[in-house]
Amino acid sequence: MLKENGIVKGFCHSVLPAVVTIALAFGVSALLLLFSSHSPIEAFSTLLTSAFGSPSRIAEVLIKTAPLMVMALGISVAFKSQVWNIGGDGQFTLGAIFAAFVALNLNLPGFIVLPVSFLAAFLGGALWGGLAGYLRAKFNANEVITTLMLNYVASYLLSWLIRYPMIDPDGHGFPQTSLLAQQYQLPIILSGTRLHVGILIALMIVLLGYLFWRSSLGFRIDLVGENEEAAKYCGINVSKTIILTMVISAGLCGVAGWGEVVGVQYRLLDNISSGYGNLAIVIALLGNLNPFGIAVSSFFFAALLVGGNTMQLMEGIPFSLITVIQGLVIVFVISRVVYTQWRDNVANRHFNRGAR
Amino acid sequence: MQTDILTVGLVSLLAGAIRMSIPILLPALGEIFTQRSGILNLGLEGIMLMGALAGFGGTFFTQNLWFGLLAAVITGITFSLIMGFLSITVKANQVIAGTALTILGTGLSTFLFREMFGIQKLPPQIESFAPLQIPFLSDIPFLGPVLFNHNIMVYLTLLLVVCSAFVLEKTPFGLQVRAVGENPRAADSKGINVTLVRYLCVMIGGAFAGLGGAFLSIGFMNTFLDGMVAGRGFIAVAVVIFARWNPYRALGAALLFGGASALQMRLQAIGVPIPHQFLLALPYVLTILVLLSVSKKAEFPAAYTLPYSRSER
Repeated sequence: MLKENGIVKGFCHSVLPAVVTIALAFGVSALLLLFSSHSPIEAFSTLLTSAFGSPSRIAEVLIKTAPLMVMALGISVAFKSQVWNIGGDGQFTLGAIFAAFVALNLNLPGFIVLPVSFLAAFLGGALWGGLAGYLRAKFNANEVITTLMLNYVASYLLSWLIRYPMIDPDGHGFPQTSLLAQQYQLPIILSGTRLHVGILIALMIVLLGYLFWRSSLGFRIDLVGENEEAAKYCGINVSKTIILTMVISAGLCGVAGWGEVVGVQYRLLDNISSGYGNLAIVIALLGNLNPFGIAVSSFFFAALLVGGNTMQLMEGIPFSLITVIQGLVIVFVISRVVYTQWRDNVANRHFNRGAR
Repeated sequence: MQTDILTVGLVSLLAGAIRMSIPILLPALGEIFTQRSGILNLGLEGIMLMGALAGFGGTFFTQNLWFGLLAAVITGITFSLIMGFLSITVKANQVIAGTALTILGTGLSTFLFREMFGIQKLPPQIESFAPLQIPFLSDIPFLGPVLFNHNIMVYLTLLLVVCSAFVLEKTPFGLQVRAVGENPRAADSKGINVTLVRYLCVMIGGAFAGLGGAFLSIGFMNTFLDGMVAGRGFIAVAVVIFARWNPYRALGAALLFGGASALQMRLQAIGVPIPHQFLLALPYVLTILVLLSVSKKAEFPAAYTLPYSRSER
């Protein structure tokens, strides 16, 4: 009896708010669709069927889930310690560049090159994010602005690399690198689809994330976020922790870039991060900065991405509706407090009436 | 002859610097009010995109640039109210609220533009603000074409710099804003309505950001493009910190960024042997450098990013 109650309570605390948040975001988007004379029911049912309609569709959703999950986990590490890493896209791009560089130049068997490129991608992202972390710790430079500016710098760096030094010599001048050799591509785990082993790696990383928050480093990061003064008082080096936080956070974003290069594109292209950075922030917040919450939310948003593309093709509804939904989700996630405030007010009033 | 070419180049560089500084200066001026009242609005980017769309849409449908500007201001204020609600009423984390606003503005502006104009081969265009040559002054050699050959929005923005500085430093409202940003509790005990002042400051910020966005779509270009603000909302926040919350210094800082953009364009035009991607990245690198040079010493408003609640200490 008691245990059942616990499950119900857990559901009400973690799952229900997320569901209500999504419902509200969809409600507002439905209004938007009505105003622009589309049928919301038709739009959302297309969204749903095209995301889950066939095995290959579900495979596509899982392909997109993997980078989002890893990136959102990375973002959550930073957000937990109140370091606002908005630069996921740039760190993803640097990870992709480092991974591609290793995979294109290291002529060794795949089982060596793949792990090395994985580490290189982590390093690439970590350098980009660590820089912002260092600037925040040493110069008090607002990391929101530095990470965002670094996004633009990374995208121009990529754009230059694939046009000059790393361009495919046989590509007729098309801005991309040459294709990775077969042995450097992640193996497909579901034949007939593009689903690669990346999703399993992502799930493993999420599991590690769960353990990470129970480690002493995880605790330190959490404490710096909860109360910087208290952390200092406990003898934690706050500057060092902030830099380390950014390194881990950005490194994970870089790893997501690795997956995109060796698992999906097999080469470097313009705009390789395709706006996953912003989406990862939304996912991290909706998942309440919790690894399992993030895993579920990233699957949900990956489905929206896949469905949104079809919705644009079939119903003529701009894909940017998905971006609108993302923004609304954050707005409603942080507005939850209004409800709890109201509930507390009501409770207080009842309590006070009793006291009188 | 050689000096002539040099002069022409320098004139267009300096005039370009002024023109390119406007879409950073406008949102920065508004953000000075917002931040002085203790609120960090990182959603400028989203508000500017909505302003750019509203400015363009308003002009396109009424064929009147001033209605376009009005639409941009109203949209900017409306959109900034979301930020106000989240940061003042809900007391949410302002970075997250700003991010929400940026994502929402990016999505909504693109969505509405597609819905209003569909997908066309040629983007819809309007007749943008034409340069206004100030009689006599624009005939001064060198200075004339640099300073007195801009469209009306440029002159109005410079006027707004003076107005903003005056309001902040010399009026009772300005004093209230500063009091609320430095010590909301003391301000409250003196009978200043902290919530109202902060809402007003966020709305002022929204109006300015809307204008800044509109400058891009109807003052600088003649159409709306997805993501045309290109990080200027965030650069504006850096400018505000660099300028230590002073409108005149913001003018100088915005000119620095305008100069970087204009220089980047000039260098591309004359074909210097630097890859143009590096030149394009210049303003963003500059933003980081500028932020570094000042952030350590800058005296942020004491109640910066802190929500105010009467009941909590």
